[in-house]
Order: sequence, then C-alpha cells, then structure tokens
Amino acid sequence: MSKVYFSTWRGEQINNIGKPEEQWEVSAYNLPADYNEHAHSKAFIGWDGLALFNPDVDVVRLATEYAAQYQVYSEACGRCAPGRWGGRILYDLLDKIARGEGAISDMEHLKEVSKTMQETSKCEIGKTVPTPLLDLMHHFEAEFMACINEQKASKHYHMQDTNYIAKITAPCMDACPAHVDIPAYIEGVRDLRFDDSLMATRQTMPLAHTCGRVCPHPCETECRRTNLDEPISIMELKRLGADYETDHGFGFFHPTEQKPLNGKKVAVIGSGPAGLTGAYYLALDGVEVDVYEELPVLGGEVAVGVPEYRMPIDRYNQDIEAVRDLGVKFITNTRVSADMMRQFETDYDAILVATGTRISKKVYCENERADIQGYWGAIDFLDKVNLEVKYGIMVPEADQKQHMLDKDYVDLTGKTVVCVGGGFTSMDVVRCSIRANAKKVVMIYRRDEKTIINNTTYEEYHEAVEEGVEFIFHSAVAEMRDENNVLKSLLIDMFELVPDPNGGRPTLEKIEGASFEMECDYLIPAVSQSADLKLIPEEWEIERTSWGTIKTNGKDYMTSRKGIFAAGDCEYGPMTIVNAVGQAKRASSVMSRYVNDGQITLLDDEIMEDHLRKLKVYDKKEKVTGWLPGLPREHSEVLTVDERKYNNKEVKYGFTQEQAISEAERCMRCYYIAMVAH
Amino acid sequence: MINFTINNQPVTAAKGETILQAARKAGFYIPTMCYLEKTMPCASCRLCVVEVNTTDGLILSCQTPPTQGLEVTLESERLQLERTNIMRMYDVNHPLECGVCDKSGACDLQNKTLEFNIDSQHFTAKEQPRKIEHWGLINYDPSLCILCEKCVHVCNEIIGDDAITLQFGGYKSAVIPKNSEKLDCTFCGECIAVCPVGALVSSDFQYKANSWELSPVPATCAHCSAGCSLTYEVKHTSIATGDAERIYRVTNNFEYATLCGAGRFGFDYDVQAQKDTALFDKAVSALRNAKAIRFSSMITNEEALILQRLKETLGLKLFNEEARAYQSFMQAYGSISGKATFGGTLDAIAQSDAIIILGGRITTDNPGVRYAMTTAARHNGAKIIYMHPLEDALMQNTVTQFVKYEAGSEEGVMAMLAKTLLADADLSDEFRAFFNELDEGYLCAESNVGDEEFARIEKSLRRAKRKILVIGSDVLNHDCAQNIARLAALVETYTDFSLVVIPQNVNTVGVSLVCDLDCDENIAGVVGYNARGDFVMGSFVESDLVLPALNSQEGTFVSMNYQLLPTNVAIRFEGYCLNDLANAVGLRMANTIDYTAQLPMAKGFNGTAFDHLGNFYGSLGEDNRGYQLEVSDVEVNGTVASVNALPEFNGTVIYRCNPVNQFNSYTARTTQLERDSALHGSAQFAAAARISDGDTVEIQSNGSVEVRTFFLDSNLKGTIALSPTFDTEFGVMNESYRFEKIKIMRVGS
Repeated sequence: MSKVYFSTWRGEQINNIGKPEEQWEVSAYNLPADYNEHAHSKAFIGWDGLALFNPDVDVVRLATEYAAQYQVYSEACGRCAPGRWGGRILYDLLDKIARGEGAISDMEHLKEVSKTMQETSKCEIGKTVPTPLLDLMHHFEAEFMACINEQKASKHYHMQDTNYIAKITAPCMDACPAHVDIPAYIEGVRDLRFDDSLMATRQTMPLAHTCGRVCPHPCETECRRTNLDEPISIMELKRLGADYETDHGFGFFHPTEQKPLNGKKVAVIGSGPAGLTGAYYLALDGVEVDVYEELPVLGGEVAVGVPEYRMPIDRYNQDIEAVRDLGVKFITNTRVSADMMRQFETDYDAILVATGTRISKKVYCENERADIQGYWGAIDFLDKVNLEVKYGIMVPEADQKQHMLDKDYVDLTGKTVVCVGGGFTSMDVVRCSIRANAKKVVMIYRRDEKTIINNTTYEEYHEAVEEGVEFIFHSAVAEMRDENNVLKSLLIDMFELVPDPNGGRPTLEKIEGASFEMECDYLIPAVSQSADLKLIPEEWEIERTSWGTIKTNGKDYMTSRKGIFAAGDCEYGPMTIVNAVGQAKRASSVMSRYVNDGQITLLDDEIMEDHLRKLKVYDKKEKVTGWLPGLPREHSEVLTVDERKYNNKEVKYGFTQEQAISEAERCMRCYYIAMVAH
Repeated sequence: MINFTINNQPVTAAKGETILQAARKAGFYIPTMCYLEKTMPCASCRLCVVEVNTTDGLILSCQTPPTQGLEVTLESERLQLERTNIMRMYDVNHPLECGVCDKSGACDLQNKTLEFNIDSQHFTAKEQPRKIEHWGLINYDPSLCILCEKCVHVCNEIIGDDAITLQFGGYKSAVIPKNSEKLDCTFCGECIAVCPVGALVSSDFQYKANSWELSPVPATCAHCSAGCSLTYEVKHTSIATGDAERIYRVTNNFEYATLCGAGRFGFDYDVQAQKDTALFDKAVSALRNAKAIRFSSMITNEEALILQRLKETLGLKLFNEEARAYQSFMQAYGSISGKATFGGTLDAIAQSDAIIILGGRITTDNPGVRYAMTTAARHNGAKIIYMHPLEDALMQNTVTQFVKYEAGSEEGVMAMLAKTLLADADLSDEFRAFFNELDEGYLCAESNVGDEEFARIEKSLRRAKRKILVIGSDVLNHDCAQNIARLAALVETYTDFSLVVIPQNVNTVGVSLVCDLDCDENIAGVVGYNARGDFVMGSFVESDLVLPALNSQEGTFVSMNYQLLPTNVAIRFEGYCLNDLANAVGLRMANTIDYTAQLPMAKGFNGTAFDHLGNFYGSLGEDNRGYQLEVSDVEVNGTVASVNALPEFNGTVIYRCNPVNQFNSYTARTTQLERDSALHGSAQFAAAARISDGDTVEIQSNGSVEVRTFFLDSNLKGTIALSPTFDTEFGVMNESYRFEKIKIMRVGS
C-alpha cells in the first residue's frame, strides 16, 4: 500500500488529481514512496506504468528522463534494431518536445515507434519502455501539447531540482538473492559465448560451478516463462560458462579488472560461500583479504556438508581458485577465538564474520543425550563422510570409537540409520548413508511429501526415494531408547493434519495409539542448525537475533559494532548458498567503501534493488504474448539408480549442448527498467 | 516430425528446426537481415517476425521451433507495417554513399529498402561522427554497419578466432576487436563475406570495382586438402585500356561454406607465358629422355592421369613422396578395415561431439578441419583431445584436453590410444594379444604420456555419441606410418569412431588414386613438374617451361572427403599446358578435361565428363559440387606389428610448419598474405640453441642449410621450434617426417 497522487501501476487507475490530500485513494502496491531516509520520491516510472507521489512533477521531463535512462541502458546493449534505433528516436523526439521545439507530428512518430518497439524488440525492456511513456502522453496530453503549441520548455526542463535514479532488473534477477544477471548469462549460452556468460554470472556470484549445481533456484519460481508454459532451467545453464573456463584451461574470467591494492585489509572469518564471496569482491576492489578457516579444507558447508555426488569437489575447487587468483590469502586449520578477534580489530580495517551455522539442533525427544552412542549430529556426520570422500582425510580413532565405526571411514554396512529432518541437510544425510552401505535408511519428517519437495527440490526427493530411502511423513521421534548408552531403538509418534474449524491453518495433532518402536543404530538429527558465536568477544555486546544469529539491518550487513560485518547463515540462520552469496556480495560492497571513508553507505543501485524486491518484479498474473507457448523445459540426464547408488559419481550429467541451447532459446530476456525521481 | 501450417498450407519440421528453416525448405519467403544458416540466430533484425494462432504477439521465426498444429501466418498488414518500420529505422542516417560503396548492387540493405518501398527518411535521430577502422586486410566503417552481428557470430562459432565483439553502445554500438586494440586474428576474412552491407570490406578490393562489373568463376581452392568452394571474381578487360586480366577478389557461398584467409586473399598466384616452340621442343625432348617425372600434388586429376599415361607409354617412373606416403598409409589402413576410404568427413567432424586429433598442426595445416572442429566445439560442446608435441594457442578455446607427447613417439601413443579406445571392443585373439603385450611402462615413459591422460580421455568420451579420430599429416611420413594406419583402422572398425586422415595438398588424394607411384631414388634424368629435376616445368617463372598455375586450369581435385571437385579458369593462360606436351610424346587427347571421364572407375571415380559436373550449393545448402567417389572394398590381410623402439629427438628440434595462411610456394607469392619466414621458438629453445630474438641463424638439417631470422615466440614452450616451408624452393612440406633434429648457429643479428 502506498500513498500516491496518480498511478497506472500494473493496470490500476488511481487519479487523485484535484482531490484534497486526505481523500487520496491509495495504491495497492509497495511503491517506493520514500527513496531513503533522507528523500521522498516524486515519481516512480517503470515497465508496467507509473506513479506520481506529488502534484508538482514535470511529466514531460519525466518521460524524457525515462527515455534517456533507456538510452543509457541500451548503451549496455543495443542488440536489436527496434531497441537500438527506436530508443534513440524516442529520446530525441521527447527531448525536442520538452525543450520547446516539438511538433505535433513528433507525437505521432513517438506513438508509431513505440508500437514497433512493443511488437518487435528483442528484450522485454525494449517492449516495455514505451508503456509508461504512452501512459504519460495519454493522461497528460495537455502538458505535452502545451510545450508543442507554445514552443516552450517543460516546467522543470531547465532546473536541476530532481534526481533521476534508474535500475535494470528482471523477475528472475529480482528473485535471486544474489541478483545475478540471469538473462545475460543465458544470452551468453545462446550466443555460444561462454566466456561472456561466465563473466555475467561473476558480476554478482563468484561460485558459478557451485550455483550451477546445488542452488535451490528461487529465480525459477519467479521466471516469467512460467506464465507461458514452464520456467527456464536457469540454474543448470550457469554450468556452461564455468565448464568452458575449466575445460579449456583458461585462467579466470573475472567480471572486471582487479583494482590495484589500496592498502586496506579485511579479515574474513570462514571460507564458506559467504566468506568466499566477500573475499572475492573485496579483492576485486583492491582490498587485501585474509580468510581464516577452522577446518583443514576450504569451502565451508559446500565442501564438508554437500556430498560429492551433488557437488564434485574438483569443480568447487575451481570456484575457490577463482577467489585465490585475486590474491586472497587462506589460513586453514585456524579456529578464530575471541582473543584473535580483538587483535583482528586493530590489525584489519574491517572484519566479515561468515562462520555459518555448524551446530546441529536437537530433535527434542525424551532421553536425547549427546553421550548416547549412535546419536550423531548431521553436521559432524557429513563432515566425516565428506572429508574422507573428497579429501581422503580419515576418521580419527577417537571418533571411530564414539560413532561405533570399525573402519577409518564411514561404513554403515548392516546398520539402520534414522534421520530427522526435511531440508537439504537431511537429504544429504540419508543419501550419504545409502552410499555408506547402510542396511536401512529412514527419514522421519513432521510434514508431508509436498512440503519436503518445497523445502528441497523435486529431483532431490525423488532421487532419494529411488535410491531406497524410506520416508515416514507426519512423524516425529518421541524417545531415544538405549542400553548402556548405546542407541537401540526409537519411539516414533504419528501425526495427522486437523483442519481448523475457524478456517485458520490446519494443525498437526498426534494420533493416539499409532506410535511404534523402531530399532536403529543411529539417530541423526538434521532438523536445523544454530550458529556458534563463541568467537565474538562478549564485551563487544554484538546484538543477536531471537534465533541466536548475528543481527544486522539486512541492508548493509554491519553488526551493532562498527567495522564488524556479518553475512551468510551466521547472520540469517541456516539458509541457501545463494542467500549467503547475496548477503556477502552486498556486505563486501558496503565494506569496500567503509574501509576507505569510514561511512556506511548504499549505492543507488542497491537502494533500488531493495525497493524493487519489496515491490516484487514478477507478476504471476501477467499474460505473456509475443512468445510461442508450449515449448517444454529441458531436463538433463541423470545417472540410473544402479549407476549412482553405491558410489559418489555426480548424479546429474548436466545439459548436453543441444539441450542447453534449446533451453537458452526459451529465455524471454525479461529485462525491465525502473526509475525513481526524487 | 512436427506438423504445422504456414499460410494454411501443411508444413513439417524436423526436431530442432525453426519456423524459418521449415518455411524456407517448403519454399516460403520470410525477410531477414541478420540470419545466417550456419550460426546461431543473431536475432537482432526482428524482420522475420510472424503471426501464430496460439499467442497474440509477434513471434520471431528464426529462433522459434514450431509446435504441433501451429498455424503460422507470414503476411498481414500488421506484419508489413512492423517490418516496414524496422526498415525505416535501419535507414535512419545510413550514409548515402551507395555510388562508391563496395556492396552496392549486392547489398541486403539496398534490396530490403527497395522491397519495403522506403523512399524517404521517415524517422529522425541525431547524426553522430564515426571513425573508419583500418585493420590490415580488413576495413570497417561503423557508419555503414547495421549491427546484424553476423560477423561476430561467424568469427566465434565457425572460425574460432573469437576476435571481434559488439561494443555495446545502443545507437553508438559498433564492432570492435575483442580484448585488443587492433584486430588480432587469422584474417580469414569470413566477416567480410557475411557482412550484408559495406561495413566490413577487403582493404585491397575497396573502391576497385562495382559488383556488377565482375564475372564469377566457380572454382575450388588450391591451397590445402579441404577443397573449399570459392568464386574468383574477374573483370572484363579491353584492348583499349590495356588492363591485364586479373582476379579482383574471391568470394564464397558463406551461408553454407567457409573460407580461410589463404583462399580468400591468396588468389593472385597465376603465371603467364607465351607459346615458345623452342622451349616446348626442349621440354618434349627432356620428357622423351627422362627416367622419371617428379611432381607435386598441386595438380589436377586430369594432369595426374596424363602423368600416369606417360609412365605407361614412355616407361617412366613417377616420384611424389608426399602422395606416396599417403597412398601407403591408406593401403595399410585398408588392409585392416577392408575399405579403400576412411569413414569420416569434414562434415562429420562438424557434427561430432568428440574428436581426438593425433599428429598435425591443424590450424595451419588445414583450416577447413579447424573450422569443423570449432563448429563442433561451440554447437555440440564437443570434447576435443589434441595430441601433439606442441601446444597450439589458436586451439585453446576448442581443445578440452591437450596431450603432449615426445616427437617421434606417435606409434607408441597411437598404440596406447587404440588400447584405451578398444578396451571393450570385440577383438580377435591376435589383436587382443597385441594390446595385452604392449609394454605400457616403456611406452608411457618414452612418449611422456601418462596413464592418467588416457584415463581422462576415456572419461571425457563417456557421453559422446558421434566420435571422430583425426590423423594429422605428421603421421603420414613417420617411419612406422603403416602400423599407425593399421591401429587407426582397428579403432574405426571396432568402435563407433570414424576416421579422418589429413593429407597435405589439394590433390594428394587424387594423385594417390590415379598414379602408380615409385619410390624416389634421387636418380639423374628426372623431369620435375613443380618439383626439382634436371629439367623443371611448372607454374614458376623460373621454370624451364612455364605451365599454367591452378587458377588458370580447368580440371578436378579429390578432396580429403573423397569428393571430386571441379575447378575452372580464372585467368587465361597463353602458353602450353601439360596436355600439349603429352600429345607431343604420343598421347592423344584434345583437351586436358577430356581425361575427366577416364579417371579410374576401380578407384571410385564414376566416369562423369567434366562438363557435366556441377559446382554450386543449392538454395538449401545441398552440395552440388562434382560427386562423391564410390568407396571400394579391398582385401583384409593386414596385421599389426609390434611397436618399434621409440626414436628420441633430443637437443634442438624443428617442426616443419607454416604460419597462418601460408601453405606453399603459391601462397608465398601472392601479394596480400603476410609472409612470416622466421624460425619461431620458445625461450627454452633459444637457450638450448644459444640464440636470441632477432638473430639470423643457420639451420643445418639432413644435408640442407637454411638461413632464417629467429623469433622468440611467447606462445611456445619446449625445445621444438617451428620452421616454415612455404618459402622454400618448391614449398613442399610432407616429403619426410616433419620433426627433425638440427644444428643451429647464429650467423648475425
């Protein structure tokens, strides 16, 4: 809901012209009425209409500036005839009218060019730029005609009283927490220019191999192609650029030239996706970066959490090497303590905490004790599996004993494993257990099949089922039963969904008498994880969230202590790789300015990014035209169950070139341009 | 198959075909400005929009495959209006210099402006100053450029140079060199060919002639064994102007064929002579008294047949070591495969998704193979494994695995490769025993190719469906070439690989089929035809008798694809030709091309007379050039011999290898092509040879001495230097193994 003077946004027709302010009808959308804490917006104009926030807006100038911004944009593109010439003609004619030299025929030509752009432009941006311009020319025709008839400049034409801030977006880019320029990297695939594709990805996302494989791709949920048939397989197309770089042994295609060292130093704590991302963009900006890692290996949870069959380590190492290529220093086997943090504060110009969430939460059942043998936290379990599979680091003797292993790696032959969870981590646990040759693998989950698919992916769930994981839905562990501190069995309660008679959300209620006992050797809680923040000196009194993570404002990622930033799971709580990347990218941008000027600032582009996310770019009700419906989404080949079940071969082959190209050709390049006048 | 309708008429499309492709096949016209059949759609012009029944907006036909039952409409008032408006935009501020523009008369913009009846400038936009770029053989005028991107696509997707890109600038956009100030490429000139307007032009040709003054002569490029189609364009001459007849430029059917820089710019190698009876008589007597004729493969099939008949009539021997090496390689191949011809072609390479290349410097030996590989790499994501002692920087963006072996170890490497590829094959006990008995430890150590590299090859082939093994020309002259041929034949016979062998010259294959060649004994009394001899005739001005060069001859070649390809006379030759000499010593044939129909049927020729041969591509790309030779069966009687001890090439070694766009003495004497005669070596080579950049060095090899300038090449590694042959007396390369141990001395700087 926003207070507006006039709005045609998304087809609404709000016209408060001439009405007293207290009677203004409000807009149904989250329009950016306040640009930031210092400035109210005068107008917002974009692909789907426009909104005026006060009566004193020079609409002719507004139209001209929007066309000018498109000119600026098309200078980053200009790849189709209507967009390239049409955009220039629009701007030249609007400016001619605005400065008082227009003719009536110019209005006609504007409409004519607009029509051709709307019908034939390559990208949505060329198709939609004329939309608010035509709206303005229609609703405020008198103001345009006044400039033409009287041959005088528009009312603010010669004034410098307004800032015009524009931003390019797309539904997928808006939905991606890292705001990856998705249409650009897909275009790189379509044009068979894989270096361009990779550089487009790396503008905001250094982990191209990784996020081409294990991203939950929120972008695909907001892909506009869904309105026509099926979403583009956005995630997998990212692999092509990364594979091109690796397969041909090129160095690293960085998105911009690295700036020379500026004498500033930053410490990054943790080498997971957030740490790597922060280090990458800080280093690109000329900051010297030291990354501290507790484990002997780099990469955080993607290295020791995500299994080899989903994310081959040789590919992830390529992403890590791209970071190292910029001169980032990695210090492994070093668990950062509070004392070290105190020292870092003087040694470095800023610190980025990116330590993730590495404490497995309890399942909260009776007799849940860490000292029962067979009770094994998911994070530690996956550490042990992955360190051996990926790096050949064997399980130390003490741990073998603790976890009843008779070998120096995780071999579950003859064992029954029960995992409690429902997210990606629990999927990794059960599928790794299958590969460790467990006799029986069971997943206990409180909700239903649909929810587990929503929480993970359709493929992930079905592959687990194919491999023989048994899922028990609407269930929970009630009690651990042990003999002499060795786990013997679990008591499982069953639940059902009971609709709320008052129409509220249905509630889960225990089915009395349905509980049963299940024998098992291991209970692996993978419910959720919490952050281990012992490294933060207590006297710093850094604010925490109610769920025990580091608190920031979610915009600049500075903690309550100046110069200490936090990003990724340790800030947000256990979330996705791409979320960690997005946060760390923003944090690194803020930090790279902070280390130079001591100020916490956001770029206009970042402010607009946040505004657009609030407004939401994707409109699932929009009717898409100009593209042929009914072209199905490509699916890449997967190893058969027999080929993959007892080894760590990557399950997905990835697209063939033919599939990739045909998938890339489905992309509609839904770029939009939005502009705020303030 | 997808069934749909266009303008209410039923049309079918194959899987992967677009609406535009299906429409063109069915004979419908859809206007385009940026479409190029051999690349991905550029999708920039938007003229090919069509209407369909399943959505309201206009659909781009060049990149959209049809759906079942779709109803497509190609013409309507709405489409006409939008297409006209696009043309109106294209014409905004396009310079009115058609009077002098190279493209005038053959310009897509001119044609479409007329087609859409644009008679005045409808829209206006500010003018902008643009600077003309001079990039060596290529000039670029951004004010004429319509930014269709065809040049950018073809450079990246077909050629592989990836040397140009679009500088995004909206209205100011332009084509610029990628990652460098000046254009740094192999100067194939394909960007000129595909340019629909006069933006990219040949700097040599610019302002020399109007397109309508030029007569096209369809021919076949004479520089390498790919046998690319080209058109010589010559201008009428008159006695009044005294202009000598000359070729103005070379063009190609760029929709379906591709040409390298040597083909496009290296056309003026013709010689001229008058009929001098005294010289002719000397030649006739030299032939009558000759013990042998030594000749190069730069001749037509018809001439080759004349030489063969001379051999039969006069009892001469025929020497051509380069073609003989190919001949015996193919004989050995046939002894295992049972076929006279290998199964792969250039087209098969382009269609493949896995390629292994062993023993050749592809980018300069045979650009046709390079372009096919680039096509496969980009379009099919082909895994390309390049096995050679020297890395090739030009192939970095296509090769996915480079396997470096020691010079001379080809036989061992081939044996190991064959073992890898034949691991699961159903081989006879004899062959299986051969592989089981291989001394892998020795072979890996001596060739310097480890087990893990073969394992990686095996891994990267796992998903491939269309695989090609390419044998480069290094191998043909290897001491153990025949055993390598038999191993390659095993791979082709017992796996799903197809084989392609790269002969050196334009008609190596033809000569190998037509002539019964003798081992060159270095005897006296040899007549040389474009080769050394006691009496030399041929297309060099210094020859004892000057005979026409290949752009002054009609006749045929057999390409590496075993396709018979006709070529025609671009420049009339006034002197004698080989047929005149042959007739003087007893053969009887009115014209050289009368021999075309007599080419040996037993070798796969089909008896078609020259005048009945086509030499063009159909409107949908059908190859109507000459004909494909029949594959004949041969007796299977071969077996593989145990692998010889691998020779060592220590110290300073050179590799005979020409620079880009140079092939032989003909390309060497053309005016536009760069002539880089330097010895190229790495810092390591320089250290070993105790020479430095810019030194004049004397290279002693096998009894011959060459003096060259040394160029320190940062793209090279190791102790093998590249030494050209195009600038030597007859420019031949493959008479012996291409790696050679040499002595090198600094003689000046």
